[in-house]
Amino acid sequence: MITAERKPMEEIMGYVEPCQRILLVGCNECVTVCAAGGRKEVGLLSSALQMAFMKSGKVLQVKELTLERQCDPEYVEELVREIDGVDAVLSMACGCGVQEIARRFRDKPVFPAVNTSFMGASERQGVWAERCQGCGNCVLGLTGGICPIARCSKRLLNGPCGGSTGGKCEISPDVDCAWHLIWERMKALGMEKSYEQVMPARDWRTSRDGGPRKIVREDLAL
Amino acid sequence: MANRFEPVIAAFCCHYCSYTAADMAGSMRLSYPPNVHIIRVPCSGKVDAIHIMKAFEKGADGVYVAGCLEGDCHFKNGNVRAGRRVEYVKKLLDEIGIGGERLEMITMSAGMGELFARTASDFTEKIRKEGPNPVKSLPGAAVRSAAG
Amino acid sequence: MGNRISSSLSNRVLVVGGGMGGIKTALDLAEAGRDVVLVDKAYSIGGFMTQLDRTFPTNNCDLCTISPFLSESGRNLHIELLTMTQVTEVKGEAGNFTVSLHTRPSFIDVSRCTACGACLKAFPECVRFTPGLDHRAPTCMRYPQATPNAYSIDIKKCSDIEALVKVCPAGAIIPDDVDRNRSLAVGAIVLSTGAELFNPDVLTDFGSGMYSNVITGYDYERILSASGPTGGILVRPSDGKAPKTIAWIQCVGSRGARPPYVSYCSSVCCMYAIKEAVVTKERFGDGIEATLFYMDMRTSGKDYELYYQRAKDEYGIHFVRSRPHTVEEIPETGDLSITYATTQSSSLEREVFDMVVLSTGFRVSPDVVALAGELGIELNRHNYAKTSSFDPVATSRPGIYVCGLFEAPKDIPETMVQASAAAHRASTNLTVSPKKEKDSEAFPPEKDVRGLDPRIGIFVCDCGNNIGGVIDVDEVVKYARGLPGVVSSERIGYGCGRDALSRIVSEIKAHDLNRVVIGGCSPRSHETLFQDTVRRAGLNKYLLEIANIRDQDTWVHADRPGDALDKAKDLIRMAACSVALTHPLKGHTVPVNKSVLVVGGGVTGMNAALGLADQGLKVFLVEKSNALGGVSTQLRRTLEGEDVRAYMETLIQETLHHDNIQVMTNAMIVDHSGMSGLFKTGLQVGPRWQYRQIEHGVAILATGAVPNRPKQYLLDEHEAVMTQLDLEGVIEDAPERVRGWRRVVMIQCVGSRTKENPNCSRICCQAAVKNALRILELNPEALITVLYRDMRTYGFQEDAFREARSRGVIFERYDVDDTPDVRGQGDEVTVLFKELILQRELELTADCLVLSTGLIADDEVTEELSMIFRLPRTTDGYFLEDHVKLRPVDLPVPGFFVAGTAHSPKTIRESVAQAHAVVARAMTVLAKDTMDLGAAVARVDADRCAACLICVRACPFGVPFINAEGYSEIDPAKCHGCGVCAAECPAKAIQLMEYEDDQIMAKLYGLLERVK
Repeated sequence: MITAERKPMEEIMGYVEPCQRILLVGCNECVTVCAAGGRKEVGLLSSALQMAFMKSGKVLQVKELTLERQCDPEYVEELVREIDGVDAVLSMACGCGVQEIARRFRDKPVFPAVNTSFMGASERQGVWAERCQGCGNCVLGLTGGICPIARCSKRLLNGPCGGSTGGKCEISPDVDCAWHLIWERMKALGMEKSYEQVMPARDWRTSRDGGPRKIVREDLAL
Repeated sequence: MANRFEPVIAAFCCHYCSYTAADMAGSMRLSYPPNVHIIRVPCSGKVDAIHIMKAFEKGADGVYVAGCLEGDCHFKNGNVRAGRRVEYVKKLLDEIGIGGERLEMITMSAGMGELFARTASDFTEKIRKEGPNPVKSLPGAAVRSAAG
Repeated sequence: MGNRISSSLSNRVLVVGGGMGGIKTALDLAEAGRDVVLVDKAYSIGGFMTQLDRTFPTNNCDLCTISPFLSESGRNLHIELLTMTQVTEVKGEAGNFTVSLHTRPSFIDVSRCTACGACLKAFPECVRFTPGLDHRAPTCMRYPQATPNAYSIDIKKCSDIEALVKVCPAGAIIPDDVDRNRSLAVGAIVLSTGAELFNPDVLTDFGSGMYSNVITGYDYERILSASGPTGGILVRPSDGKAPKTIAWIQCVGSRGARPPYVSYCSSVCCMYAIKEAVVTKERFGDGIEATLFYMDMRTSGKDYELYYQRAKDEYGIHFVRSRPHTVEEIPETGDLSITYATTQSSSLEREVFDMVVLSTGFRVSPDVVALAGELGIELNRHNYAKTSSFDPVATSRPGIYVCGLFEAPKDIPETMVQASAAAHRASTNLTVSPKKEKDSEAFPPEKDVRGLDPRIGIFVCDCGNNIGGVIDVDEVVKYARGLPGVVSSERIGYGCGRDALSRIVSEIKAHDLNRVVIGGCSPRSHETLFQDTVRRAGLNKYLLEIANIRDQDTWVHADRPGDALDKAKDLIRMAACSVALTHPLKGHTVPVNKSVLVVGGGVTGMNAALGLADQGLKVFLVEKSNALGGVSTQLRRTLEGEDVRAYMETLIQETLHHDNIQVMTNAMIVDHSGMSGLFKTGLQVGPRWQYRQIEHGVAILATGAVPNRPKQYLLDEHEAVMTQLDLEGVIEDAPERVRGWRRVVMIQCVGSRTKENPNCSRICCQAAVKNALRILELNPEALITVLYRDMRTYGFQEDAFREARSRGVIFERYDVDDTPDVRGQGDEVTVLFKELILQRELELTADCLVLSTGLIADDEVTEELSMIFRLPRTTDGYFLEDHVKLRPVDLPVPGFFVAGTAHSPKTIRESVAQAHAVVARAMTVLAKDTMDLGAAVARVDADRCAACLICVRACPFGVPFINAEGYSEIDPAKCHGCGVCAAECPAKAIQLMEYEDDQIMAKLYGLLERVK
């Protein structure tokens, strides 16, 4: 899932400060699951913004709406009914959702209310951690199901650096050394041999370095 | 005394402990300031962050959530969750300049009628010192419509 | 009225006496599906408690706590209520009695009377009303919420009967009403006939009946009572002046040597006098001086000692240890001069008071003695029903049981315990199985309110002075009329009274209401009653909201009536806003598991297990030690001389060999889940600590207490020092040792009533007296001195205390701040203490020093179980019951009960009574096949659910799961209704029924509407 966090109130306030009416749009997918931009967060932010405005002697009208998925045009189309008369749209979806609204409604400013963080998994209630960087060339089959690109601070491909101590990364004792994890897992699987296999330098063109990416399924995209 | 600020305070009280303690304060005829208005919830863990925010948005000067003592929650840990949530909302209130100190989490057992009364008095005094909720004295009410 | 006897009627129990005890017995039996005939010689039920103002230790107003019970018994389909009725004859035997009843004419058709009061207005002399200080109290029914809610006519006093008949708008007066006789077949009889109060007018020394400002405690209750002659204003009878100094004199007519005194202690007067003094201080200000003259302060009930200490320390009530000599009136002023002596001074003291209250105790009335004669049951020498310690509510005649005051003087909690115990014991004589619930048939079909605009009805109680005395109820009513959606608003007096309830029903119908707000007391106590009421009117019971304008407004803001009025309006407005959004809900039902978990295999646990097993239920009896028996195996005799060891042996054998009981020793409880009717508890059972799980419908905690053994007075250091419990063993097993003793000293309150353990252990005074007498039996020459603080030989224990004194046992008082000193001296010990009359140190050398160490809570066990079962405890580690007065063996978690010394220290007699009581209470759950879980469950909106798992992880009970369709599902039968999932759901897809977000918001908006 894509994870996100609400931006500081000050920054959000900066965007909507000149507005009198805004449309606050949540998304019922990833940002709901990571408790950043679902119906509940929309309600909280709406209330917070209105109070912040009232405090400075102004009034902000907020229309709240949470779409099933902000990154699909059909769902975004639902905003047509709500968007007239608002000065701006504030989106609590990930960057994809914000851009989709911006694409559909060219005459309305669209502001993000969350910082899209990473693709991750929930470790437990309320804790999410990065797991994937979308490199476009998955190596998990060689690394015991633990991604060295997303989880090693240096994206090393052939074992840990000298900063790995006691299973932790030198950047913080809270960060596991990905290569330590990979080694432990391979041991458990009896795959120590494959650890010794040297991974050649990667072709990063499948990742961001090759420019913006696109997937086209010819059979579906008629 | 005529101009003394009389805060409006909403107290979310859990059925099993604090609401019972409030009733107990009644049967003990303990007097406390009438500023505190109790809203009964089954467990303090039921109190949503939005309920608290809306209370301030609509002009409450103070809000407190009263649950059972730690370890005593009828629903295991609803009170602990409520406490965390209250901390989260306090930060948000600080961020928007309303002031997190207008919100508190309090715990007590069902038999603590006296503590209920004392808490009600103390909290009312505290909010009296804080002064009115800055959003309510301003002209124009917030208008909002929820479409989904 | 002739033969209404049919073949199945031995399934009924006759309960004689409609006081608290009789009502409780009847309700427990009825709740378990048994049919009851409840008779009372008065014209309404309620008995003594309804006359009191407030009762200890909670200082609640009784009417408020009792009225739901009364209304409940009035409308319960299993209870037939016959007022003005007495038993004239009983034939047959247990299981098959034939009872003759005589009903006096009331000249009123109770079903027609609306209690409008027209008859009273026109012919005040014809209407019956006889509580204390009768100056025609505001309402002439016995108490404001009387059941049945009807007047009663005294036809003999009426000169113009025709006019009286005409004055009744309902046509309810029947001038030719006649006496009726009826014969009834019942399986068992419970006598709950109560007692009357001693009339001190026959005494000459205290001026009762001579001086108008000398009144009894009962009269004082009436003065304090809002429904009493002064409307709850404290004034003295002679001149209507508000008294500033009031004295209470204890033991008037009790603990005396010669008639008209009785020798026994009435057990409740110390507490009621303290309560009256505290309530006086609370209600009428600190300016009033309250003084109590007493002999021994007997506050030995659960937490009563704390109540006493608070009265002293916080309320500043003066306690003077003295039995006053005389009370004399000062004729000019009507003030009263009390002459008394104390140990501190050698001369007589004299002090003047504005008013004197005499604490009088109980007597069995001659009617009851006659009835006992008719029934052929044995009485003790004080005319109370004779029972055994091992079956404390069974009279000498099989099938006839007793509870409450007729068994012995006692307070309300103990009466409630015995009432439940009697319900259980009586039901063992019933052969026919209980009939199925028929309650649901009584309700009309529910009206469909979906899509209709709210039509709200507001009903505001005045609750006598409780609400009406603080705020202008009419103004609240008027204000409520203007609220949105409100179509009717009215004042209903005591809303929980029968007639108010029927008025609510008729108003709902008349105005076609579809939502109801009650402004009154706490929903905690009265929600069920009002829910039933709206249901009777054809509405779903969840279309109701209660505004707690009493407990949380007028009771706490009585000092600021203006603010209290505003707040009442706020609370009503909030309720009205919220009720408009309610919608019909359906409670969920689940099958009840008919097994029982009993924790603790002592005398209490075994009695409870046997009682339930005999009713055909499967019982799992869990004991942590390796054998049954508990502390009682160390006891040998009761104060009455009964053989405890023989009793325990039989009890253990019966328990071990009962087909329905599975005993597990060396067993530890490790986990627990579920709810009333369907619990699951995990155990580890020795010797191998295997885990097993038990499914059960209810749980009974009889985990007992532990004998205290403080490191004091050379205990466990010197051979000659032992506890009372040790002494029991020595007396029975080594009598030769006892015969060799020249002097024995006993010290009371060792480890009790101290800073560390402030409560009284209740059992030690009687144990000391018992053991002193047993020592004298073996060794008449022994010199025995008991060092005590207050001798608390309550009830008939006082006789033994008296006997000990007459046989030469010396009782010396010591002060808590000046405790005795003990030194070892060879085989002997020397006890030094300060003699309070001589005011000098005395030294006694004893062969044996016995310490009355009492019981303390089994802290380790109760702490662990309270964590596992989520149960509250008192500060000293005993389990805390749901309502200390009215539900003394029910724990706050439904389906959990407590009995025996796990509740508080008590004698075997009292423990067995509680064991029998929990059986009756448990049967109210287990007699039903299904359990109504209520409607407060979480509901998921599948369209909104993002299947994020937050509810799955947040639920404290692991109920939600993501179903095959990909959204969260919450099983209503498993949901506990806390609402945590609803609060945490990031998609706002979950609502907790009864507490939906829009309803909570509506309350908030209702409250804050005025802020803007």
